[in-house]
Amino acid sequence: MSEATPPPGPKVGSDRDPARERSLASPVLEVIGLSHRTAPIEVRERFHVGYSRLEKLLAALTGSEQISECVVLSTCNRTEYYCTVSAPQEAERKVLDMMAQQADLDVDEIRPLLYRHRDYDAVVHLFRVVSGLDSLVLGEPQIQGQVGEAYRQSSGCVPGSVGAVLHRLFQAALSTGGRVRAQTRLAHGSASFPAAAVELARKVFGSLEGRRALVVGAGEMGELTLKVLRNEGLDVALVASRRLERACDASRRVGGKAVPYANVWERLNQVDLVVACTAAPHPILTAEQVDSARPGGSPLVLLDIALPRNIAPEVGDLAEVFLYNIDDLQRVVEEAVEARAEERPAAEAIVADHADQFWHWYVARQAGPLIRLLRERAEEIQAREIDGVLRRLEGVSEEDRERIRMASRASLHKILHVPTVTLRDLASGLSGPELLDRVRRLLLDGGRD
Amino acid sequence: MVLPLHLTAVGAYLAAWVVQLRGFRVRRAGRQGVELYVMAAAAAVHLTALIVFSFDTRTIPLVGLGPASSSLALIIVVVFLLTSSGAEARPAGLFVLPCVLLLLVEAIAVGLQPVARQTAFREPWFAFHVTSIFIGYAGLLLASAAALMYLMQFRALKRKQFGSVFRFFPSLDALEGLNRVGLLIGFPALSLGLLAGWSFTLTYGRGLALGDPEVVLGIVSWLAYLTAIASRRRRRWRGRRAAFVSAGAFAVTVTAYVVLRLTLTASGFFL
Repeated sequence: MSEATPPPGPKVGSDRDPARERSLASPVLEVIGLSHRTAPIEVRERFHVGYSRLEKLLAALTGSEQISECVVLSTCNRTEYYCTVSAPQEAERKVLDMMAQQADLDVDEIRPLLYRHRDYDAVVHLFRVVSGLDSLVLGEPQIQGQVGEAYRQSSGCVPGSVGAVLHRLFQAALSTGGRVRAQTRLAHGSASFPAAAVELARKVFGSLEGRRALVVGAGEMGELTLKVLRNEGLDVALVASRRLERACDASRRVGGKAVPYANVWERLNQVDLVVACTAAPHPILTAEQVDSARPGGSPLVLLDIALPRNIAPEVGDLAEVFLYNIDDLQRVVEEAVEARAEERPAAEAIVADHADQFWHWYVARQAGPLIRLLRERAEEIQAREIDGVLRRLEGVSEEDRERIRMASRASLHKILHVPTVTLRDLASGLSGPELLDRVRRLLLDGGRD
Repeated sequence: MVLPLHLTAVGAYLAAWVVQLRGFRVRRAGRQGVELYVMAAAAAVHLTALIVFSFDTRTIPLVGLGPASSSLALIIVVVFLLTSSGAEARPAGLFVLPCVLLLLVEAIAVGLQPVARQTAFREPWFAFHVTSIFIGYAGLLLASAAALMYLMQFRALKRKQFGSVFRFFPSLDALEGLNRVGLLIGFPALSLGLLAGWSFTLTYGRGLALGDPEVVLGIVSWLAYLTAIASRRRRRWRGRRAAFVSAGAFAVTVTAYVVLRLTLTASGFFL
């Protein structure tokens, strides 16, 4: 597992108030997980966390002292634990135990599959994930909804598992993903076979609303393609298979109508689009059949997604007939992916911008209590010293004493103004948490290690 | 003032065209239709230039090659903007804008001066005659741009070339629609314009001068249009065949114009 050097932990002194110290300690933002980059699907599926298991898992994690907040993001391409932790090493051990238990593996076995990002890197990682920059298919849009769902599920099933930090982090992440999709074309184009099929059909017909399709063969790919086409507004879908009951099942699932296979090609003049996906070892549709069924007809799109091909290549030579096979769909996908890659720098810039904004908020939030403590300590010393001086003075009226106290306090505030502003500014830098930790130790221990 | 405004309009039209060319190169339509806004701004400047011209010269900018070319360019832009507000049709600007630029450059090159003509050429119905014909030509240009794009997109889809044309050009259905709209706007306008011109000659006691190059061009264009419309109506041609006829009609019109200018006119009055 790739590791970042943990920040030095606070030194516990004998005269310390542990409750106060805990409230001042900087929580660490951490993500531990695995994805398509580090593990194959047969491994990833072992780590998958379903909703039924999520509640128990979150309760166990956030019930520990080291982890205050946790969101679990589990999709087919990744399983990641986003946590705010007070003791990074113990927390990491806890998360690893849970993951190993989930996958039914040893901790040492899973360690090489995992990655860990901390603080600013964790923020950037989540923002890249939600934008689709870390997806298997660059820019895929589903991850935005999956991140939103993970956040809602985690915050809904165990109260308190999502606190102020993760709430803000995930809101910022979703906003980042939205901006990336709105301002770049990272999610544009067809980066999957069904999407490529839709794009090809749309380039011929424009809108698919009201168009009619015929699916020959009730295979999984044909059904998936038809589902996507139906989502685009395709009106009537006819499903034909050599076994009518399979056609009936498939048509029920996609909301189409089963038709007998025997005279299926007679229906060519009733449809605008044909998806062929049978297991036939030879072409089942020839140019003569198309020509006789549609003499000089309107445009017809034929998607042959079977292997071996179901439609004779000569069909594509007919006027107003557009024939595409798997290789053609693959080329559309490749073109889209190439175009998306050109948008990567613009998307990365948006991610960096949003990560900086979040980081500024996050560190400023941590700097606040320390600055209050700094002021309290300084005011205590100032009050003690000035009271000592005033006790030794004689012939000074109470009114003048109060004036002296006020002048002393005002001087102190003026002296502290620049250091506190500087501290807040420096804290928002990348090494902010480390700086805050040093200041905390300075205030609590007088800087002793 | 007229010339600087024209030059500004040329610059803005050129900018809109460059935006479209860039979109074509990177295989996507411009974001939020920026080229349409630039074109609209250019059209506003262009219109201002023609209004200033009218005030300065006290003539309508429809007489004489320079002013008439400029007016025709403006009418083409207006027709394009009115028919292409839908995102799908925007890429047609790739073909329309060079024609607009060509007309404007021609107008500037030959000079934007008024031409001394008979009083009749200042009457409102003369303006109606010329404007109608110009709308007719604008419609024909739009239809032929859509037809050309249809043929290119058809070829890309047939040959499975998923490059710039496939990505940037609209769907065949949208291009077919734009072609139809261009013809439906242009043909009635051209017919009205020609009828008005005929009435004009009759009013002034002259017959239809079939040797007049303007009349010849009008009739050739109208017949070309009629063929395109008739092939759709009577022969029910759609898609590629309809696109071929539309593109052919435009080619015939342009060829007729060039031939007439080169062979029949020496006066410079003929548009």
